[in-house]
Amino acid sequence: MVDAVAKAPRQAGGIRRFIERYPFVPALVIMLVLLALNGIWQPRSVSLVGITGLVKTYLALMLLAVAQTYVVYAGDIDLSAGAIVSLVNVVIVAFMAAMGGSAFSVIGAMAIGLGVGLACGIVNGIVVAAFRLQAIVATFATSIFFTGLALYVMPVAGTPAPATFWRTFGARYFEIPFVFYAAVLLAVILSLLARTRLSLQLLAVGDDAQGAYQSGLPVTAIRIRGYALCGLFAALAAFCVTGDTASGDPLVGGKMTLFSVAAVVLGGSALAGGYGTVVGSVFGALIIGLINSLVYFVGTPSEWQNLVQGLAILVALVAGILIGRRARA
Amino acid sequence: MKKLTLLALSTVAMAAISASAAFADDFKIGLSNGWVGSEWRTQMIEEAQAAAAAWKDKGHNVEVVVQSANVDVPGQIAHIRNFIAEGVDAIIINPNSPTAFDPVFAQAKEAGILVISTDAEVSSPDAVYVGIDQTAWGAAGAEWLAKTLNGKGNVVAINGVAGHPANEMRVAGYRSVFAKYPDIKLVNEVNANWDQAQGQQAMQNLLATNPDINGVWVQDGMAAGAWKSIMDAGKKDQIAATGEIRKDFIDIWTADKLNSGATVNPPGVMASALNVAVLMLQGRELKEPANKGQYGNAMYLPIPFIDSSNLADAAKQLEGKPGYYSYTSALSIADAEALFK
Repeated sequence: MVDAVAKAPRQAGGIRRFIERYPFVPALVIMLVLLALNGIWQPRSVSLVGITGLVKTYLALMLLAVAQTYVVYAGDIDLSAGAIVSLVNVVIVAFMAAMGGSAFSVIGAMAIGLGVGLACGIVNGIVVAAFRLQAIVATFATSIFFTGLALYVMPVAGTPAPATFWRTFGARYFEIPFVFYAAVLLAVILSLLARTRLSLQLLAVGDDAQGAYQSGLPVTAIRIRGYALCGLFAALAAFCVTGDTASGDPLVGGKMTLFSVAAVVLGGSALAGGYGTVVGSVFGALIIGLINSLVYFVGTPSEWQNLVQGLAILVALVAGILIGRRARA
Repeated sequence: MKKLTLLALSTVAMAAISASAAFADDFKIGLSNGWVGSEWRTQMIEEAQAAAAAWKDKGHNVEVVVQSANVDVPGQIAHIRNFIAEGVDAIIINPNSPTAFDPVFAQAKEAGILVISTDAEVSSPDAVYVGIDQTAWGAAGAEWLAKTLNGKGNVVAINGVAGHPANEMRVAGYRSVFAKYPDIKLVNEVNANWDQAQGQQAMQNLLATNPDINGVWVQDGMAAGAWKSIMDAGKKDQIAATGEIRKDFIDIWTADKLNSGATVNPPGVMASALNVAVLMLQGRELKEPANKGQYGNAMYLPIPFIDSSNLADAAKQLEGKPGYYSYTSALSIADAEALFK
């Protein structure tokens, strides 16, 4: 933020100032290019059905990327985000199964799930901000702890979620798929959150923790709140995973953690903190999804699919950084 | 007038024939594999691709498209969504979870796509399982062991990953068999996570704690490890143990004349599933509906067994193949046709 202010008087070009103000623009461009490429190779992938499938599959990753963004704002990181998804997933599925799967039990389960996510986030916040442990190691440790809890709640994957839950996630209301309402709701919540003091405080802490402290901001409390917000969004991601998989799995979120970090970086946020947007992270998650499907649609042989996916994500990262750096230089 | 009607009728008939021919000739089948940790999976896909090519000789164009990568469950759901977007006729999946695919399979069925799972059963009522019965697989090895020991002796079991559905079914299979033989004592059961090195370690520990073992029931690649420990302990002539189906082990088995028997989980299951899928896509009906198994949607394939009587044949099939290559078997097109009306 300070950088942005300091460099403004140099009178960069219009595009430069535009990207400075909206750091997610490179991600948006990459996403649109990928969407077009998907459409060229497989026209049906950009039909309503195709886009619905894309949103349904990656809504969870979008939410987890948003979760990750709030801690990255403050220069922290959360390697336990995926483990929180797993834990919330098994807790709500176990609860709904125990309560018989009525509509009431579904609402109760979601309330409990949000509580679990919040609690995990606060635990992370306390270990990192109050005990002053390195975020990357501390949250790695809590991720093992949360996974252990999930395995205790449900040792084996497979308990089915009640049909009311996943049928709602896959349903259409007034001809529009449920996930689009969820996406719109997410956009509204994000824009409201972006206007809160907390977002600005997190960015201020990430930009210069010492300066923030000296100007009277409660740095520890702010970082804990960032982790709490992260836990809440991880719980929302778990609801989507549960809606899409209709079952409990104590390891379901594990691989999502690093994808969420990648999405944040693809979205134009700085891992060092102090600079970024949640919208960019949402685009970042979609970029990962679009790359995965594009790799298949262009006809990559199966033994090369993992390799090409990795390379493509790398290329997208480099492209995003080059566009962003040129704009900010 | 009559001529005109005839002409019209024949045109309609011709159109109908060409339409049905186009429909019958071209099928696109998507194969999804969510774990690339062993050669068995690679061989599974290669055999399925070969099976699709074999349909060409019969005048049917069966195109397969493959998605095979290390993915989590949401990643494999993305595989299925890609297939739906592409508009395949059928999807054959080796699933990463028994229950997590219910919603996406429902979506595939809605899009008119036939869904077949293989190697692991799924709970979805919108899918059919074509593969072996893992419970019967576990029972077959135990039956061989019990007969080889003349129904008498101390037996240990080395299992895969605790809680994994296939493992639990196999364990249920051998327990039910040993329960029928009152003089067979199951003295110890351990888990070695389907890992050859852990299997070897587990066998070493078992030999140390139970020196009076007569029989070992062990699964898949862990068998090669367990046999290594048995041979190192100099007990290969006193102990009977189940074996496995990779060429490396079959060679040792032949050379050292081991007292072994191997239940076959053939990588050809996906090829079998593909042949069944093509016949289903042609609108043929199964003689016996696929309604077996715990989810009521399974069609079980025969389970081959290798023992001293047919070991030489197995070795012959694997001749010239790499050491990791598995003994295999699959329903041929004719075998599959015999299952249909």
